[in-house]
Amino acid sequence: MVDMPAQNPQRIVLPPHRERARRPRIVRLREWARRNLFNSRAGTALTIVTAIILGLLIYGVIYFVFVDANWRVITDNRWLLFAGGYPMDQEWRLWFSVGFVFLLIGLTYGTWASLGRRDHLFIVLASGFAILLLAHGGAAIWSTLWYLIAVGLLYAGYAITIRMPREAGPGRTLQQRSVAGLLIAALPIVLIVLLAFGGARPRELEGFVLNLVLAPVGIAGGLVIAIPLALGRASRMKAISWTCTTYIEVVRGAPLLGWLFVALFILDDVIGGELIVRAMVVLAVFTAAYMAEYIRGALQALPGGQSEAAHAVGLNQFQSMQLIVMPQALRISIPPMVGQAISIWKDTTLVTVILPLRELKGNADSAIAQFEFTPDRIEAYVFVAVVFWVVAFIMSRISQRVEGSLGIGER
Amino acid sequence: MTVAAGSAPPPEPDVPLIYRRGVRRLLTQGIYVAITAVVIGYVYTSLDLREFGFGFLNEPAAFKVGNQWLTDVDGVTNSRITMYLVGVWSSLRAVLVAIALSTVLGVLVGVARLSSNWLVAQMAMLYVEIFRNTPLLVQVVLVYTILLIGAPLIENVVNVGDFFFVSNRGMAMPWPVPDGGFWNTPDWFVGVWVAALIAMAVAAGRLRALRQDRERETGQPQFANRWAVGVFAVGALISFFVLGAPVSMDRPMIEGTHYIEGMVMEPEFTALVAGLTLYTSAFIAEIVRGGIQALPRGQTEAANAVGLSGYQRLTLVILPQALRQIIPSVTNQYLNINKNSSLAYAVLYDDLFRVANIVQNKAGHALEMFFVIIVTYMLISFAISLVMNFFNARVTAQRI
Repeated sequence: MVDMPAQNPQRIVLPPHRERARRPRIVRLREWARRNLFNSRAGTALTIVTAIILGLLIYGVIYFVFVDANWRVITDNRWLLFAGGYPMDQEWRLWFSVGFVFLLIGLTYGTWASLGRRDHLFIVLASGFAILLLAHGGAAIWSTLWYLIAVGLLYAGYAITIRMPREAGPGRTLQQRSVAGLLIAALPIVLIVLLAFGGARPRELEGFVLNLVLAPVGIAGGLVIAIPLALGRASRMKAISWTCTTYIEVVRGAPLLGWLFVALFILDDVIGGELIVRAMVVLAVFTAAYMAEYIRGALQALPGGQSEAAHAVGLNQFQSMQLIVMPQALRISIPPMVGQAISIWKDTTLVTVILPLRELKGNADSAIAQFEFTPDRIEAYVFVAVVFWVVAFIMSRISQRVEGSLGIGER
Repeated sequence: MTVAAGSAPPPEPDVPLIYRRGVRRLLTQGIYVAITAVVIGYVYTSLDLREFGFGFLNEPAAFKVGNQWLTDVDGVTNSRITMYLVGVWSSLRAVLVAIALSTVLGVLVGVARLSSNWLVAQMAMLYVEIFRNTPLLVQVVLVYTILLIGAPLIENVVNVGDFFFVSNRGMAMPWPVPDGGFWNTPDWFVGVWVAALIAMAVAAGRLRALRQDRERETGQPQFANRWAVGVFAVGALISFFVLGAPVSMDRPMIEGTHYIEGMVMEPEFTALVAGLTLYTSAFIAEIVRGGIQALPRGQTEAANAVGLSGYQRLTLVILPQALRQIIPSVTNQYLNINKNSSLAYAVLYDDLFRVANIVQNKAGHALEMFFVIIVTYMLISFAISLVMNFFNARVTAQRI
């Protein structure tokens, strides 16, 4: 028989999960709530208690932010907090750097990842936060405009690179190499723009700008020292591995504050120079010890067959390191390295504690030292915390996306 | 030609000396050592070592060290090294309390992140994201500021039944002190009682292990924990009264603008410990979550299948296994707590780092002071590692 005994031709039997999905949204919502919020008597009690705590917290935060707090301590000290002693007539250099870095972020995202809905939301929120700060005082319109141009550059860079083909090929390689090259060159370029050709003197770097300079220098310098250090520690030559191990263990033995103490009192005799340069050296040397340990872990995680295979096809020691072992080891060590980078980002606040260098937290201290703002200490520190949180969040988010697209953690 | 097993084949005679592996290594290391020696030599000559020596540590301190607890060392008659040791004791106190609190909080938040309750899991995630991504310095200073501004002045102190006092000079609470008791016994009776307590704790632990063994053999419930706690409590009470009540609780009082008696938790200490706890617990929570997630799902399902409750599943099945992965990473966090305790400097808590800085300000000798600092931190780190390795060995002794 060809004729089907179809009494109800409209009725199509779907697999169970599709069947569930067809039910009205309100039913699905109720089911979801029953499963995730009210799955038992204890679960319901827990939900209610948590909801009350959450409600109180939200109430407290809203009351503090909109009623209790006096945010003039921030808005009146905008320049002090962000650039401090940086010469005001050179403001364009700061904005040029911001635009350049935003463009790079756009290029990186377009090349190795894509912006999701949550990324756009975050950019909009963070921009709202930034504009809220910038849109006060004399140069409000100009600084807001500068900022918007920077965000525009981010999207422009993204729009250009996201349209390029992702398939492996000479074009893709060229794209990846040029973006990576720009990323490597970014730090020197920004430093030149900020300091060279009539820019600020190094000691005039202050406030948030100082954090934004110190952290990348520490990270990049640390990475440069860390790679030979990790190889040295893993070396079979005793003299080399012992000295590298000693370096790593001694540096990790004392807190960063201790090493900054060294920068202040002891390094003066050894290398001299500006205090800020000594602080940078200490940050790099300190970070290197931690990064070296992550790279060493990655080297150990690589199967021994990799370097054996490299030797089998006739690569020498150096080539096998450069072409086979290091690329894989660095890839494995990206997640802990990002953690270390975020840690250094937060640790840049420590230069304020014993050095006479004033980064964001230090200048927040100066802001509340003014007579009219002495009652607003909590506001100032909350603001500092939020700013650090935003940048750390951006760092972890970018790394997550790039890790995902590089397939790290997968085989 | 026979070559003994394991020995290297003889080198080819026509290979130039420079290409032989042994020669190369020797050469490389020779060059390396030479360069290192030059660098170290340069550093050595550029340092000012004319007055190098540790004799200055024995001179009178001539500065005050605050935040003392159980010690009352004045800086007039005592030497600098004594004051430094007082600072070490302050650091140790903060580190130990922060380790204990951050472990408890971290495990709670880490488990909460995996809760089947959506709201709880989201709250835990919020907690981790906030405290992990803000600088510890800012957290410590913020807590300190809130304690100073937010808490009432000592004139309007919050008094909870004359037992607890809260003001911006800290929190005061009752604290046990030696007491003559019924028979006017000397102070060292407290020591006797503490020794008795320790002995009873050991005995209770032994009893618990015995009853647990019996439960495993017979399958009959033996209430090991209840027995252990009961024996310890009864023993503690009896020995307390037999020794004539050698300890009494000392209630705090206010005299002028200061607390006297009792135990006082100063805002500096509270801020440091709270900051360290909040910050580190966020990291420990992530470690705990990772350790639990690394377990195969079958463990949870099996625990459900034999009818364990959620709490039993966690404490009997999941956490004991997850501990194997958790302990090494958590040890690292403990070492971080030790090093991060130097942030006491920012809230003027007189820990070892701050006292060392004061000494350096008074007497110079930065290099020697730094040497003392780093050796102290390394010793504390070493002690923490030792304890944790012992604990780790116990956890991994059971094969799974």
